[in-house]
Amino acid sequence: MKPFRLLAAFAVTLGVTICLGDLTTAQDAPTKADKKAKNKNKNKLDPAAQAPLRPAVPVKPIVLPSGPKDAAALARIIDAEVDKALAAAKVATSPAATDEEFVRRVYLDVTGVIPTGEQARAFLDSKAEDRREKLIDDLLASPNFGKRLADVWFPKLFPRDSNNRFVLRDPLVKWLTDKFNANTPWNVFVFELVTATGTVEENPAVTYYLANRSVDKLTDGITQHFLGIQLQCAQCHNHPFTDWKQTEYWGMAEFFARVRPDNPKNANKGGDNTKVGVQETAARTKVKDFFPESAKQVAPKFLGGAEVKIAATEPARPILARWMTAPDNPFFAKAMVNRTWAALFGSGFVNPIDDMHDDNPASHPALLDAMARDFGRNGFDVKFLYKSILLSKAYGRTSKPAAGNDKDEALFSHQAVKVMSPEQLFDSLAQATGLSQQVAARQAKNPMAKGQPSGPRDQFVNFFLAGADAFTPTEYEAGIPQALRLMNSRQLAGNPQAVRLYQTNAKDEPRAVLEKMFLATLARRPTPAEVTRLTNYVQGAGTQAEGYGDVLWAILNSSEFTMIR
Amino acid sequence: MLPQSTRRQFAQCAALGVGGVGLSGWLDVLAARAQAQPAAAAAPRRARSVVLLWMDGGPSHKDTFDLKPESRGAGEFKPVATSAAGVQISEHLPKLARHMHEGVLVRGMSTPEGAHPRAKYNLHTGYREGQGGLVYPSLGAIAAAELGRPESPVPAFVSIGGRSYGSGFLGPRYQPLMVQDAARGVEDLRASVGESQFGRRMGLLDEMERAFHGEYRAPLVTDHQTTYQRAVRLMQAREGQAFDLSKEPAAGKAKYGTGKFAEGVLMARRLVEVGVPFVEVTLGGWDTHNDVFNRVKNLSAQVDNATSALLDDLRERGLLDSTLVIWMGEFGRTPNINTRGPVPGRDHYPRAWSLAMWGGGLRGGRVVGRTDREGATVEDGKVGTADFLATVCELTGIDHTKKNETPTGRPVQIVDKPKPFTSLVV
Repeated sequence: MKPFRLLAAFAVTLGVTICLGDLTTAQDAPTKADKKAKNKNKNKLDPAAQAPLRPAVPVKPIVLPSGPKDAAALARIIDAEVDKALAAAKVATSPAATDEEFVRRVYLDVTGVIPTGEQARAFLDSKAEDRREKLIDDLLASPNFGKRLADVWFPKLFPRDSNNRFVLRDPLVKWLTDKFNANTPWNVFVFELVTATGTVEENPAVTYYLANRSVDKLTDGITQHFLGIQLQCAQCHNHPFTDWKQTEYWGMAEFFARVRPDNPKNANKGGDNTKVGVQETAARTKVKDFFPESAKQVAPKFLGGAEVKIAATEPARPILARWMTAPDNPFFAKAMVNRTWAALFGSGFVNPIDDMHDDNPASHPALLDAMARDFGRNGFDVKFLYKSILLSKAYGRTSKPAAGNDKDEALFSHQAVKVMSPEQLFDSLAQATGLSQQVAARQAKNPMAKGQPSGPRDQFVNFFLAGADAFTPTEYEAGIPQALRLMNSRQLAGNPQAVRLYQTNAKDEPRAVLEKMFLATLARRPTPAEVTRLTNYVQGAGTQAEGYGDVLWAILNSSEFTMIR
Repeated sequence: MLPQSTRRQFAQCAALGVGGVGLSGWLDVLAARAQAQPAAAAAPRRARSVVLLWMDGGPSHKDTFDLKPESRGAGEFKPVATSAAGVQISEHLPKLARHMHEGVLVRGMSTPEGAHPRAKYNLHTGYREGQGGLVYPSLGAIAAAELGRPESPVPAFVSIGGRSYGSGFLGPRYQPLMVQDAARGVEDLRASVGESQFGRRMGLLDEMERAFHGEYRAPLVTDHQTTYQRAVRLMQAREGQAFDLSKEPAAGKAKYGTGKFAEGVLMARRLVEVGVPFVEVTLGGWDTHNDVFNRVKNLSAQVDNATSALLDDLRERGLLDSTLVIWMGEFGRTPNINTRGPVPGRDHYPRAWSLAMWGGGLRGGRVVGRTDREGATVEDGKVGTADFLATVCELTGIDHTKKNETPTGRPVQIVDKPKPFTSLVV
């Protein structure tokens, strides 16, 4: 897949203005012509789409409302900008999502699990005008919000790497969950993570350094996750289609040169891997394999910014973290806004979401810029950012295409149909089949050992990721083994116990049983045609339980279940 | 949103013209199309399948294929002559000794990793774990992507009796179908209900899919349907019986020996017969830090019976020239014998070690690389990880200079900077 979109061509024809990152200090930046030459063989797409873009007119920043935080006001700005681009492109807008679509989508996006039958019913039966806003507030306040975001961030911060088999996982999972639930400002969160020092027991954030024990992993990860920039190619050669030079790479890497992570394996032999940790020392670290063969030693330098003098007596990471998290940092706020937008729409303003550079422009540059400014001005309030997007009409649209807008993949004319992540799928299946309670009981009895994944949820997630380190919500990537497991395992859709959640008594009306089942899985009531068809089916089956079991099996294996519409 | 990936395009091609066809109708369409396709003529002298016999833990080269009776750390075993002139191997591999004229010994392996997980990763993928921040596809996934036939109901990469390395950035389509225990076959391959009930369930599912797709028209739904249809085809396919060892005549089974590895190798032969391009079978227990001689003797017997039976069967079926059989682990073991335990052992040793290959159009009876008197350094014909994997690629007609793209559009060559030794062995 190419990190370029036809939208670039779109933007040109629309006169949409492109906001260039303010890389003011890259004195030897190649000219546009140089870049064009470099790009020539890079892409098989329409050459017009690959031409470097020049702003037709200077970007006029969107004026943000002053005064107290107001999510609804920001949502209105989002909608004005999105609608403007749609109108300019003459792309039709799909109508608002139904309550059925909305409730399931927002539960999965914010808390990582489908609503229970009762939760779905309560929302669908509510007549309150502000029911969507109220639901958004409730979900953002739910402890599952932190769990969901921990699921998203944990794999980024804790690579699946054999070297990590002695590193404890749980402390970092808990730390992430608690931080997101407490709505820790994003700049504080990142500062704490980047500067983490001490033992796992004292500060679980040091787990990040224990799980990434080399200077290149730290440099790649921190720039990618928190600044939205893919630097890793610049480790060994100058980046082919951006301004990043090897000197930039090693200038950033230098901030981590004095990090000294313990070897978790040693603690493991002593039996207590909560006592390992991370220190920063006065001299370059001697940790084995910490510097790759390609390492260069240059003065520490902020990415696209100034070189820094750091005294040996002073730790380097706080200096980096202060620069990263400053409200005027050109990358930091934008990276998180783009990432959050992508989590809720299936794709960002910039895609891939962590590959933001001049030649990969945003679809809505002025909006991204305004939202990033607002994010910084509001104290990097993550829940507020979520809420303003969730309140927008753009988020609340149906995912059904309308009036020929089905080809639009970049202007948000309709919501994307997304695929559940393995974690979302497991939690939703477990809830709908009653496995959750059993799992909870079993895990309470056998807490995780040695940082190895354990328990059915981790096994399921590993099985579904199949060694891939990232999950793409816009691609259906499960293969034959996963489909076989979903269809034929007696622990999942074919769990013979699950029907009892919906048919508690042989005298239950089929209509009522089916309604319960549909609400608890698809967050909607069955259509009259479905009620008729499925009632006949159940009555024609060998036994009622068998018939209901078949219906439940079909629902849980369906696209409608495994996707977020 | 990203442009649609080739995976998606493939899925749509596979499902082309089947919108609205029910499951059984879909199966008919596909079966007809599969029959209409003539079998592609294989390039001359190119293997179409690979069986990787993975010796997990690192087999001692000095006690299997590179004995050094004159050395300080010589083992207890005697070398014996083989059907390849001048080539000697361990006395505990007597049946394989009669197959060495069909095989190539590589005694010059020299690789960078000495810890199990990192070494296994390196030998399976050709890259070092964590390199460039990517998860690399293993050889099996590469073979599945390059040699697999989309119309085949059986996945192109099957891994038996161990964990394998998966498809990394190539995506789930090419990940291995795992068979934990050959005697039990593929997990979840059989429906948990009877056939007619399963058919009714599929009918219900098909109705739901059509309704949803009609309303939302998302390409994802097509992909989902395609995957499910492929899974159901595997459940129903005659080729799926390759996973069922109860279908094998008893006489054919016995010569493979007994135990899980023997069963796995037998299953591998059955899978090669139905055209699976890559099968990996794991035999664990080679991490012989202590009691090296008793353990290697026992493991050698399992290897000897199963591998020689496999080679005989492949020859009998006319499949030996088109099937490359590889015997290897993640490294060798120290030339010196340690005295850390009550019984002697050998420790990890990636600097010099051996692997063996048979069939696949090889010019047999040859040896690549030579170690010194102690079996401690490669004196001549050193083969690194990339060199070996590129050679396997060339033997199977895979272009190892091809660049695959990661999801973020980075081009990554199948094998990085190799010096293959193909010309020496074909």
